Amino acid sequence: MGEGLTIDATLTCDVLVIGAGGAGLRAAAHIGEQRPGSKIIALTKVVSPQKSHTTTAQGGMAAVDPKDPADRTIFHMFDTWKGSDCSADQNVIKKVCELGWEEMVWLETHGMHFSRTEEGRIAKRPFGGHMLNFGETKAFRACYEADRTGKGIMDTVWDESLRHGVDFIGQCVATELLMRSGTCIGAIIYRYPEGTFIAILANATIIATGGNTRMYLVSSNCRGNTGDGLVLALNAGLPVMDLEAVQLHPTGIVGPGILASEALRGEGAILRNKDEEPFMERYAPTAKDLAPRDLVSRAIMQEIREGKGLFHEGHNAHHVWLDLRHLPAAVHEKKLQEVCSFFKRFVGVDPQKDLCPVTPTAHYQMGGIPTNEFGEVQKDLQTIVPGLFACGEAAAASLHGLNRLGTNSLLELITMGRVIGERVVEYLKDSQAPGELPSDAGHSIFDQFSTYLASQGTENYAQIRDTLRNLMMEKVGIFRTEKSLLEALEKLKELREKALHIPIGTTSLKANQNLWQIWELNNLISISYVITRSALERKESRGAHFREDYPERSNEYNYHTLAYMSEFDTVTFDKRPIDMSIFEAKGERYELFDFIERKY
Amino acid sequence: MSALYPITLEINRYDPETNLAWCQTYHVKVGGILRFVDVLRKINDEQDPTLAWASSCEHAQCGSCGIMVNGKPLLACELLVKDAVEQFNTHTFRLKPLTIAPVVRDLVVDLEKAYDRIHAAKPYLIQPAPLYPDGDEYRISPETVDTYVEATRCINCFCCATACISSHHHFLGPNATMENIVRLMDPRETAKQERMDILYKEDGVYRCHTSRACSFVCPKEIDVSHFLALGKEGKF
Repeated sequence: MGEGLTIDATLTCDVLVIGAGGAGLRAAAHIGEQRPGSKIIALTKVVSPQKSHTTTAQGGMAAVDPKDPADRTIFHMFDTWKGSDCSADQNVIKKVCELGWEEMVWLETHGMHFSRTEEGRIAKRPFGGHMLNFGETKAFRACYEADRTGKGIMDTVWDESLRHGVDFIGQCVATELLMRSGTCIGAIIYRYPEGTFIAILANATIIATGGNTRMYLVSSNCRGNTGDGLVLALNAGLPVMDLEAVQLHPTGIVGPGILASEALRGEGAILRNKDEEPFMERYAPTAKDLAPRDLVSRAIMQEIREGKGLFHEGHNAHHVWLDLRHLPAAVHEKKLQEVCSFFKRFVGVDPQKDLCPVTPTAHYQMGGIPTNEFGEVQKDLQTIVPGLFACGEAAAASLHGLNRLGTNSLLELITMGRVIGERVVEYLKDSQAPGELPSDAGHSIFDQFSTYLASQGTENYAQIRDTLRNLMMEKVGIFRTEKSLLEALEKLKELREKALHIPIGTTSLKANQNLWQIWELNNLISISYVITRSALERKESRGAHFREDYPERSNEYNYHTLAYMSEFDTVTFDKRPIDMSIFEAKGERYELFDFIERKY
Repeated sequence: MSALYPITLEINRYDPETNLAWCQTYHVKVGGILRFVDVLRKINDEQDPTLAWASSCEHAQCGSCGIMVNGKPLLACELLVKDAVEQFNTHTFRLKPLTIAPVVRDLVVDLEKAYDRIHAAKPYLIQPAPLYPDGDEYRISPETVDTYVEATRCINCFCCATACISSHHHFLGPNATMENIVRLMDPRETAKQERMDILYKEDGVYRCHTSRACSFVCPKEIDVSHFLALGKEGKF
């Protein structure tokens, strides 16, 4: 197998960034700034970094302004800890929350177009789970650019990378990490337009491939979010962490699940059931519509289960209403311009006059490749992998634990991107050159591609994809049980087998969309398998992971799940302790950083 | 389910292996609320897995899925079948790749090449002004931001550059030129001279013939030609 396929070129660089979204390019910009002349190559699956998934983030980026008389960093740290259902790492929480405002100023001085207050300062809005005085009342903490904050951030880090001479390679995927004696020395990539394989040797490699919720029927993720980076790590024998924690955002626009930002509720929108009752008051009496996402999504599903939802004929889907009718016209037209246009275009409703149909949509992978607080990838509890770093949604340091607060992901991208940039600059000072290309480089990916290209089977790609997406939504979605998870595992094994027997439409390597999608489908099935196995292991409910057969949180599971799967179906587990350093430091209100009860 | 629309798509095909190009016809029956990206996916699923097309976010925020439909450049992700039938008053649609970059395969063009235009316009702050004395954010009034904020919504889908009567003839193009004008209007940018040099050079804003095609086709409904006019007038 693998005959005919070869490495067409070899490039070398100081830093290889796999995935040129917000996190990857914030790291690249920092390295470019601090170490001018570095040769940095940034890979993206799309044509330009500007088209990355980061660009679709809407609502805002949390950061406590030191001049704000009401807000304090410790409130933000507490909210993040409580929001995670006591499963985030406190060293990371502290680092990220403390860096927030500095990074906001960095974005501002590098050209991001923030929305402004009347005084000309950066405007802020409330968001779910972000509160003042340890949970008392909503905080104005999310800095934003209308409802396109992600685009503002993406444009800014891309601009800066461009300015510092980062080389972008678009329309490509990394298919294999190159390792020598336990050190990462780069990756093999596949370029879509020419169908070529290129080896890139690098002193330091950063995985920043983003999220992977395309295995869910309803998903806010872009087409290419298929877990490629996590599969890279798994194939290299490295673990992934907390994959059972998949965030379903409460308000996806009914149909494909396009995101309708939490900023809508931040600006005052209200969720209503079919009787137009504002039902969140019953589920979260204090935070109401601005409770964290896991709670709101479960509340919506509960309403639908109790027959208080609605049914959309055209999209064949259950939903509830989001009511924006009472918001001033200026809010619709300026602050929520993009989302309001989505409702008009994609479902034909006018949010100024009509109720908007929404349903939970798979949105974010809280877990990812485990790293320490500096973004260095961990092989196991004791060892890091020299030369390999990870940040952004693909990584878990972990700021979010098992549930992420809105606006904390953009904050994480930017702060951890910079932290990793700093670490890489240090690492490059005395790192060894990557040396020659290993002789077996590319063999496993050549085997894999040859299998797909030679397949004469009778299985149907679309059928497997759709079965997978329905399966994950139904059985590994918001509500899970042992039974549903075991059924899902059986089905996933079947799908994995079928996916090896999809007939290929054309054997050309150039822009072969069919080949590309079969490769992605295999990645999705692998990651789905790890999500499901991890969900089965965690016999409790915490954050976004909800087990109907174990509906309470249990102290027995006060740890992160580490999962290894170098061969499909052979998953082994380990546990990583939760960092409790804020609690252990015994500072101000430290008792709130214990495993506290979580009520909103 | 709502009524199905029987539609015909005549799609430009190109195979880079054989260098052959042809037009292929597909007949499909689809729900009116499907987007053109859904229709193309359906063709892949049910009729022809080899048909290549591009997309990413599929809700008009990334600008990866630009194509020509009956001569109009637009985003395939935000054109609903029922709207297309109404807008073009037909059930037959001619799909072609954007003309702004070389075709890779079928409807996929090499937008990486088109992006060279954006890079040439230097979208970043070349020389940022010193920070506010306190070391925190600048003070920019909402009124000032309002004068250019629409232009910052551009996603570089290159629909305007495809429709522009000049951008195939030595013009950097409407979107790239607008990127430069945004930074000329941005109070944080101090490198105004360098920006004006880019704006008024050989491939600069005076290549624009004010057809206003850019504003007409922009999927984000940005009045691109307004910003080009400000550029010509030197009013930033």
